[in-house]
Amino acid sequence: MSAAPRPDGQRAARSVPAAASTTGGDPDAGPERIAESATGLDMILTDAALGPLRRLVPPVSSSLRFTAALARRPRTVLGHTGRLVGEWGRIGLGRSEVTPGAKDKRYSDPAWSGNPMLKRAMQAHLVTAQTATQLVDAAALPYAHDERIRFSVTNIVEALAPSNSPALNPSAWKAAIDTGGRSAVSGTRRLVRDLSSAPRVPSMVEPDAFEVGKDLARTPGVVVLRTPVFELIQYQPTTPTVHAVPLVMVPPTINKFYIADLAEGRSIVEHVVGGGQQVFMMSWRNPDARHAEWGLDTYGQAVLDAMAAAERIAGAEQTGLMSFCSGGIITAMVLGHLAAIGQQDRVASATFAVTVLDQARGGTVGAFLDERSAQAATRASAKKGYLDGATLAEVFAWLRPNDLIWNYWVNNYLQGKPPAAFDILYWNADTTRMTAALHRGFLELAVRNSLTEPGAATMLGTPVDLSAVTVDNYVVAGIADHLCPWQSCYATTQLLGGDSRFVLSTSGHIASLVNPPTNPKSTWRTAPSDVPDADEWLASAHTEKGSWWTDYSRWVAERSGAEVPAPTELGGGGPVLGAAPGTYVFDK
Amino acid sequence: MRPASGDGPQLRTITVGGRTLRVSVRPGDGTLTPLLLMNGIGASLEVLQPFVDAVDPRREVIRFDVPGVGGSPKPVLPYTMMTFAPVVAGLLSRLGHREAVDVLGFSWGGGLAQQFAVQHRRRCRRLVLAATGTGSFMVPAHPRVLSKMLTPRRHRDPDYARTIAGEIYGGTMRAHPERAARALHAQSRLGPRRGYYYQLAAGAGWTSLPLLRLIQQPTLVLAGDDDPIIPEVNPRLMARMIPDGQLHLYRGGHLALVTEAPELAPVVDRFLS
Repeated sequence: MSAAPRPDGQRAARSVPAAASTTGGDPDAGPERIAESATGLDMILTDAALGPLRRLVPPVSSSLRFTAALARRPRTVLGHTGRLVGEWGRIGLGRSEVTPGAKDKRYSDPAWSGNPMLKRAMQAHLVTAQTATQLVDAAALPYAHDERIRFSVTNIVEALAPSNSPALNPSAWKAAIDTGGRSAVSGTRRLVRDLSSAPRVPSMVEPDAFEVGKDLARTPGVVVLRTPVFELIQYQPTTPTVHAVPLVMVPPTINKFYIADLAEGRSIVEHVVGGGQQVFMMSWRNPDARHAEWGLDTYGQAVLDAMAAAERIAGAEQTGLMSFCSGGIITAMVLGHLAAIGQQDRVASATFAVTVLDQARGGTVGAFLDERSAQAATRASAKKGYLDGATLAEVFAWLRPNDLIWNYWVNNYLQGKPPAAFDILYWNADTTRMTAALHRGFLELAVRNSLTEPGAATMLGTPVDLSAVTVDNYVVAGIADHLCPWQSCYATTQLLGGDSRFVLSTSGHIASLVNPPTNPKSTWRTAPSDVPDADEWLASAHTEKGSWWTDYSRWVAERSGAEVPAPTELGGGGPVLGAAPGTYVFDK
Repeated sequence: MRPASGDGPQLRTITVGGRTLRVSVRPGDGTLTPLLLMNGIGASLEVLQPFVDAVDPRREVIRFDVPGVGGSPKPVLPYTMMTFAPVVAGLLSRLGHREAVDVLGFSWGGGLAQQFAVQHRRRCRRLVLAATGTGSFMVPAHPRVLSKMLTPRRHRDPDYARTIAGEIYGGTMRAHPERAARALHAQSRLGPRRGYYYQLAAGAGWTSLPLLRLIQQPTLVLAGDDDPIIPEVNPRLMARMIPDGQLHLYRGGHLALVTEAPELAPVVDRFLS
């Protein structure tokens, strides 16, 4: 899903779902859904380097096009603004029937409809927001300009909602009365605390809501290898027998690895270990300015180092790879490298979870990523030596301001309440830096879309040709993922040479990953991935109840060799460097 | 169930009073009073590992990275010894320690330890001050040494650490300067510069001279006879001014607690037991 709503052609001003509804309120805008939109793809790296403000102010070229487009359609503009003025008049007289969309929880407090002043403020905002969106629709700009203008307009309009105002929001008043004014004090304190350090957005979780190693990242294991770039964790098998081929997990290079090892019962690691796999996890070092030169090759070599260690410890000649998001990009390039040097038989299977290799059209992200801004972003991170994770978090938040900014603005500051504790949001706030060289590497891949073209990118000195990679692969995406659109993830099946299994999970970027079988609502779809077109694939797909984790466990088991007795001792006789989750995960 | 090696140090991140700290706890068996270590300037908690390994294994040992150093996030606002001591007290509470602990302050951490012992008297049973002085008012080191302490470069640049180690740390560093870079973990850990300067600033203008008489805990002053940073006269003075103070002068330099831990840890253990 992109951050901007598409025109729906509806004009009647009776109820206003269109303008703000993609971001404003949703019936299940619980933390699960908020978390989905909170996190994401490393490809928004441009903004993270240049700062989120750049997005709020559209580029001059887009603004000029917008104005020019509207100037060519005077009648449309007059029509919209005329209707707006008329509606304003009716609102002033109290005769307007404008109501918020049923899903818009910003105005769920009965005071918004009961108090005449509040009702007018709400109605005026709703119709103005709708008109603004209609004007953007009417301009019918080309894709990239449309995305940019729509983004700015949506952000500004949503910021002006009366529900965000401490003077108007009835829940703020009620909280102040109920607590004898304490809510205002604690709200102000939270505001000062949040604004004093990046990310300068309302916190979505209390800093001590969870503890890594105790509530999160708690699957038992040991650190079996520590290099300057990563620590390798070997997890303790929980089954009497295990598959002979070890499984190495390659996490994203942004945020910490424990997205794959959240609370008990919500950990893919725990699930896969329970399925009889010998699981190894790479925990990336949180790099700093000294590591500016670590690029794609450094990270690719790290994956090879992890594979070698896993093979030695398990006494196997092959490894399975399971990668997530940007970790998948590195994994794909390592596979290309192994294919080029004739060693891809070392890889038993490869999994790409919410990974985009073909960047042809990445929604909002794609629209904002052009060569010039990519270069500017690269220069900015090169100067610092790294890309700051906290800035990236700001960018993600501004992608969905109603869910991630204004919702918490009201809760944390106006009502003075702590945000609800939710493990994914805690993980999301635990940001990491990204080295300047890796940032440059990812942006170059994205701008030129190099992985779609054989030989356009290199890894460790060899050209990468993904069609030469004949390893069996498992590709999983989330249907509501606005950062790695599932259609773009699907394209991976067409890029790789091996047999692909494509699975489409429910929900978005992160919640599609954190999808334990205990979740009664989860479903997944699958179909043979022999059609090039994603939507054609969807039409032929059938829906299965339950979680894709179960399907994956079965799939990877078929590709993990014979069952052997589980090792009694971790580390394969080599040194054990400490207990999981290791030390790198704690580096801020 | 944790694997057997799980009884090694446990790292965690704890936020107290707006400061987020990376904390390491080596569990003990509960028979001895826990020992809280306060570290030198710019040094991550890993630096103290050799000492922790040498100390009685029955003793729980707590270490932390000050803001902006090692694995703790960089501080937004500066702090002073007086405002940071309550953060440490809060940290102990969060770790579940209501009773008093023993405190060892090393170098810069020795200043914080003196402040802590006075300010949070009931949280501190015994005090060890290792290779440390009384802050701004003390018999100063040679200006050449001080100028090299003013920047975190030795923590960032292993080659530089090697060239200056003998001169500023003395003791065995004079013969084996390469061990300084290793002891400082110059390769593996680093905080942003701001962390170092805030730490420096926290000690600037601060002195424990008026505090020394107020330290009521039994105190061991541990100092080297060849420590260019802390001239020997300072520990002698401190041991005399602290009402229940005793001096242990060892042969060696500033980093001996770390580099010659097997010799010095038993001295500390004996004093605390």
